[in-house]
Amino acid sequence: MKKAQVSLASAATRREFLKLTATAGVATAAPYVITSKALGDATTPPASDRIVMGGIGIGNMGKGDQGAFLGRPDVQYVAVCDVRKKWREEGKARADDKYGNQDCAAYVDFRDLLARGDIDAVHIATPDHWHSIMTIAACRSGKDVYLQKPETLTLREGPLMVSAARRYGRVVSGGSQRVLGDYRGIVDPIWAGEIGNIRSIDISVGGPSMPCYLPAQTTPPDIDWDLWLGPAPWEPYNSGRCDGNYGTGGNSWRSYIDYSGGSLTDWGAHHFGGAIFAADLRELQPSKVTYFPASADGKTAAYVSVTYPNGTELFHNRPASLRPAASITHQGAIQIAGDGKPRAAKPVPRYRNGETSIYGDFIQCVKTRQRPFRDIESAVNTMTAPHMIAIGYRLERSLIWDRASQQFKNDEGANRLLDRARREPWSIS
Amino acid sequence: MPFDPTALDTAFKSLAAYDWAADTAPFQMIDAAVIAAAADKALRADLEKRFGALLADGTSRAAKEYVCRKLMMIGTAASVPALAAFLGDTDNSHMARFALERIPGPEAGAALNKALGTVSDALKIGMMSSLASRRDLACVPVLTTLLKGPPLLAIPAANALGTIHSTEAIAALAAADPFAAEGVGEAVVNARLACAESLLAAGKRADALAIYQGLAKAAAGKPDAKAIELAATRGILACADAVAAAS
Repeated sequence: MKKAQVSLASAATRREFLKLTATAGVATAAPYVITSKALGDATTPPASDRIVMGGIGIGNMGKGDQGAFLGRPDVQYVAVCDVRKKWREEGKARADDKYGNQDCAAYVDFRDLLARGDIDAVHIATPDHWHSIMTIAACRSGKDVYLQKPETLTLREGPLMVSAARRYGRVVSGGSQRVLGDYRGIVDPIWAGEIGNIRSIDISVGGPSMPCYLPAQTTPPDIDWDLWLGPAPWEPYNSGRCDGNYGTGGNSWRSYIDYSGGSLTDWGAHHFGGAIFAADLRELQPSKVTYFPASADGKTAAYVSVTYPNGTELFHNRPASLRPAASITHQGAIQIAGDGKPRAAKPVPRYRNGETSIYGDFIQCVKTRQRPFRDIESAVNTMTAPHMIAIGYRLERSLIWDRASQQFKNDEGANRLLDRARREPWSIS
Repeated sequence: MPFDPTALDTAFKSLAAYDWAADTAPFQMIDAAVIAAAADKALRADLEKRFGALLADGTSRAAKEYVCRKLMMIGTAASVPALAAFLGDTDNSHMARFALERIPGPEAGAALNKALGTVSDALKIGMMSSLASRRDLACVPVLTTLLKGPPLLAIPAANALGTIHSTEAIAALAAADPFAAEGVGEAVVNARLACAESLLAAGKRADALAIYQGLAKAAAGKPDAKAIELAATRGILACADAVAAAS
């Protein structure tokens, strides 16, 4: 099937698109009638002021994201895309039910959705191996993007995603709703200067993803398996390989290295995100990775830390017996030790315009062109920590990171793991 | 699992018989060997030899895939011929690239370049992606030719030239039509913008500015090229910011 090209020309705004189609005399399927809904009312802005959205990857988290955007009166939700028929049809039904019509389009291939000139913004909640390709393509086609975490699968992807966002002036928000939503208990006191300068952070969360050796099963007819795999190595269908549940024990794509960074980047995106925000490290990237081998007696498992240029060291799964006394904790998952010295309070960043959710923050930024709370650049910076930790575990050695060159110093073996070849025809640039 | 050299023969025997449905535990010792090979040249050479033999032995696609994943981590020039043999094979081309793309040195680049001239159009797209990722300068003349061809190959050629952003790549893109049909123009514009950003980041403000100004001029007055004009204008402003920051 020949795919519609995602055109830079479609980066014109929706209003420009409507104007262009009007002046060009483009035929439409039905005469345009201005309805009362289009004009808006006391609670709903007129159509011209609503953000037109579509969703790519509409099961599990995509379903939740769709619900959040559908619930906003300033969003007009017009399209869903999923390689699975069931989720595609359910996503369309949710939108159609909301609006009382049958207008929500349903696509198998995200390129068809991105080729639409009337869509302002998309949310993406596919497995992680698609995130960079889709985000860059969306930026190139003039769409703003709300991208589920973890935003990246490899370290090379991040700067390319940031470049695409900046190049085309797009609003690209990362998608951890918890960073500001769940961690205020540690963020507010730290930003208020209550624990002084941070000495170390301990994060307890699962480890990296693993190789997948599941056997072949018959591919069901309701999934486009080749498109599900996309840039990942071809593997036979197995439901455990592509199930979208939140487990990382081997029965979902979150378990496997071709599609995910495992718990380390999945739940890790929340915990690392919260801790890195609390410590105000979002603009930095680690400069050092330290691998601590398991003890000879087997009583202590291996663990890894990353150290930031300001000296803050962030540990993943350091044994409790080796941790300093925590100044502040979040449900045992994050423990932060400060030096207790006086430190000036700083105002805590919030969502834009008084919004109370990351979804509202994104929509406000689409309207105002401000950078969102989890702007793609800070999301990419945040995710460098778990990605580097995963490489430390994989290679079982310590590493030095050079942010300027985006390379590990003097370690060609580690640099091999910065990225991976994508299956044709997919690439990132 | 700690590395046990005495278990390698058994592990490789299991790997030779592996297919997707089989138990992988017997050859997971190889994972530990690959890690240990980082500090052991002799072990690395031994593993490469064993992996190369497996690739040549008509093993299953699953076993080849496993081997390519490991050679991605430890492969050297010695493994290039065995991997290159699969670059034209529809089933295994990607996994051969999976290893070759990440193996440093001219041999892997030469293999990818050679394949770029011989494999099917569908697989050429992959070669371009891998060569671009390596920022391989030798492929630029071929990419320049492909850029003038049908969109199937012209689009990835433009993408690759933008990633490589050498002087020759920039010249090739400058000669291409930013309004070419069927997505080629969009790829050319994106690649030119990527080149300009790289130049600006390298402190070559005048060269970057020339690209941005060229795009702005080409887009001026064209109602369907507002996004190009906007991106070019944003670049011009970035160049001005760079001047201000330097002064």
